[in-house]
Amino acid sequence: MDKVIELVKDRRLTYPQKRHELAAAAENSLPYLQVGRRVQELMDSGVLHDLGEGHAPYRPRYILPDYVKFIRQGSRHLDLPAPRDLYEAVNALLILYRNVPSVTGYPVYLGQIDDVLEGFIDTVSPAEAERLLRMFLVNIDRTLPDAFVHMNIGPRATAVGRLVLKLEGELKKAVPNLSLKFSEETPPEFARLAVTTALDTSKPYFVNHAELRRVFGGDDYGIASCYNSLKIGGGSFTLVRLNLKEAARGARDYDQFMADVLPEVVDAQAELINARIRFIVEEAGFFESSFLAQEGLIDRRKFTAMAGFFGLYEGVQAFSGGRRMGHDKGADEMALAIMGRAHDLVKMHKTAYGKVFGGLLGVHAQSGIDTDVDVTAGVRSRIGDEPALYDQIRLQSALQRHFDTGVNDIYIFEANARDNPDGVLRIVRGAMKNGMRIMALNTSDSELIRITGYLVKRCEVDRYFRGEPVREGTVKLGADSIKNNRTLERRVRAVREGDGQ
Amino acid sequence: MKATVNRIIEHSLIDGPGNRLVVFLQGCNLACNYCHNPETQRVCVDCGECVATCPAGALSLVDGRVVHDPGRCRSCDTCLKVCPHFSSPKYRLVDVNEVHARLLELQDFLDGVTVSGGECTLQHEFVAELFRRVKADTSLTTFIDTNGQMSQEALETLLPVTDGFMFDLKALDADKHTQLTGADNRVILENIARTSREGHLHEVRTVIVEGFTDDEAEITAIARLVKGLDGRTRLRLIPFRPNGVKTELARLPAFDRARYESLCLVAERELGGRVVRSR
Repeated sequence: MDKVIELVKDRRLTYPQKRHELAAAAENSLPYLQVGRRVQELMDSGVLHDLGEGHAPYRPRYILPDYVKFIRQGSRHLDLPAPRDLYEAVNALLILYRNVPSVTGYPVYLGQIDDVLEGFIDTVSPAEAERLLRMFLVNIDRTLPDAFVHMNIGPRATAVGRLVLKLEGELKKAVPNLSLKFSEETPPEFARLAVTTALDTSKPYFVNHAELRRVFGGDDYGIASCYNSLKIGGGSFTLVRLNLKEAARGARDYDQFMADVLPEVVDAQAELINARIRFIVEEAGFFESSFLAQEGLIDRRKFTAMAGFFGLYEGVQAFSGGRRMGHDKGADEMALAIMGRAHDLVKMHKTAYGKVFGGLLGVHAQSGIDTDVDVTAGVRSRIGDEPALYDQIRLQSALQRHFDTGVNDIYIFEANARDNPDGVLRIVRGAMKNGMRIMALNTSDSELIRITGYLVKRCEVDRYFRGEPVREGTVKLGADSIKNNRTLERRVRAVREGDGQ
Repeated sequence: MKATVNRIIEHSLIDGPGNRLVVFLQGCNLACNYCHNPETQRVCVDCGECVATCPAGALSLVDGRVVHDPGRCRSCDTCLKVCPHFSSPKYRLVDVNEVHARLLELQDFLDGVTVSGGECTLQHEFVAELFRRVKADTSLTTFIDTNGQMSQEALETLLPVTDGFMFDLKALDADKHTQLTGADNRVILENIARTSREGHLHEVRTVIVEGFTDDEAEITAIARLVKGLDGRTRLRLIPFRPNGVKTELARLPAFDRARYESLCLVAERELGGRVVRSR
């Protein structure tokens, strides 16, 4: 109970943050759900980690309600008829958002907002539409102060999509996170607007729509939380990550790692994932009590679960005598082989209750957390050791093919790249053509910093370090990440670089 | 076919439209006071002055020739600073096949290729051959960055294979031009006009230098000249910076930002949005 009184007295937490932490403390006062001894050992040694989801999970980690369906049918539970104009649609969404659970307590997915709202755009004047969307975005930032709250647009240009980019460029807030599904259908001027906005705000992500629609067998996927690609109307029950650096320590050599160690830890990872899923479905009975399920806005069969991986960079170093992926052909080949093997091993496991991906688990590049030290996020190059631009894009594109539930790489340009969005757009197109699934852009002087997959504002980080309460829970995570993970030392791409001599 | 290449940059957002690979050729036919990369002006005379100064031991004299070992080089550029002949021990002969092959490998990431220098048109056969081959098997665009001081033969060779030219115009006033570059600007102005008539003049660039090009009359005159050209042509005004400069102008401070902005406004009175400012 010490933890509880500590939370009650904490001066740095806002009231909602305190309430959320107290709920977590209550859940974690229960014994951890039943897992085998080997799983427990691997959790204790840091090979496996449940990302602090809690001892007795009572809701899926990530939920992507079908907002298009909601806007068509309204909600009996929320006593809302189907909206008839943009005012009612915006109001209805803001109400529903407050009722969408997730591991953070905030909705991690706000919908494919152009599909949701474009049908109402002509119900008001253009000036009203802009004011309404501005209020909508401001409301989201102030009432859902969590940078995992994620909105999607694209691939087609719409009035709503254009307004979101324009307004996000003006508001320059960390919330919401934003993704543009990018494809041949994305008109060049819309793509250029997105690049311009991204060089100002790090938003949106560029998502390879052709790749992901192939992965999901259709357009009905969304990008949620950090950068997780999941089925609309579903989501992910849980995310359990596997630390490749730590797992490598348990192996005699590379061959034994591939033959014995990796299969064994992936088995344990799958066991933990499925134990957590069963608890949510069978013990907590989430789908029996959720109005989202009862009204058809989510469907248990559209859920998957994520087997996350990180520390590939260090894993490769461990088996190659310190070689650095991105700078060494042998290291690159090893990185690809490890991820290929990990992917195949994950795909030998069924997801309890899930029907996505043929009922098999999803593979995810976990982007690290604030307390990680000396281990690199997902399959990225270590911060500060990123290779030449095209080498990085090619290696990451090849690695990203192994991930169906989320992966991302970050590219930071010098500030004057803003003068040439067409050039940056060409690089994005080149990356997509090479198979890159999700990428983020930013500039070195940006007020918004992309931490792992979410954003924080520099000034908020400074406030947190001064000990002041901050509105966004992600600021604490971001600030600690900056301290522990050298987040601000990512390689900056000069407007002229890459000596080919 | 080969050219003397000072360096190749594979990612540039500041050498023409979009993202470009840039080939800097060695050798120039002007000697501008404020040249920012004077090491590209002349060929190496193998005097050996740089050899002893290299902290990485990447330079040596072999049979009377200066030899550069790229494996040891730390790119500190000490050799470039000490070279008394406005040259570099690092440039090398590069075959057109090599540049072409690299462009094919990188074409997904590029809008095009720019050849710059030095004065690249001194090696116009190489440039034309590279551009012909690029045009034959990619959709990349071809751009040239030139001081404009090129022979008619060079220009006529390059015009059919070049999508855009970026011309320096160091000064419109002939005396100032001579003071700044060592040559008058008659040929340059003719070449600007000819290139514009062909619809290939992408940009004219003028560096604003205190005491030379920093008066309103000169900037207005240049802006009017550009205004009379093809409507696609932009005027880029660049404030003087002392970085890399090897002459007495090295002592001049960076051009005052406020005065730079006001001269941009002067140009914009003539050209509106066709003026490109530097950050």
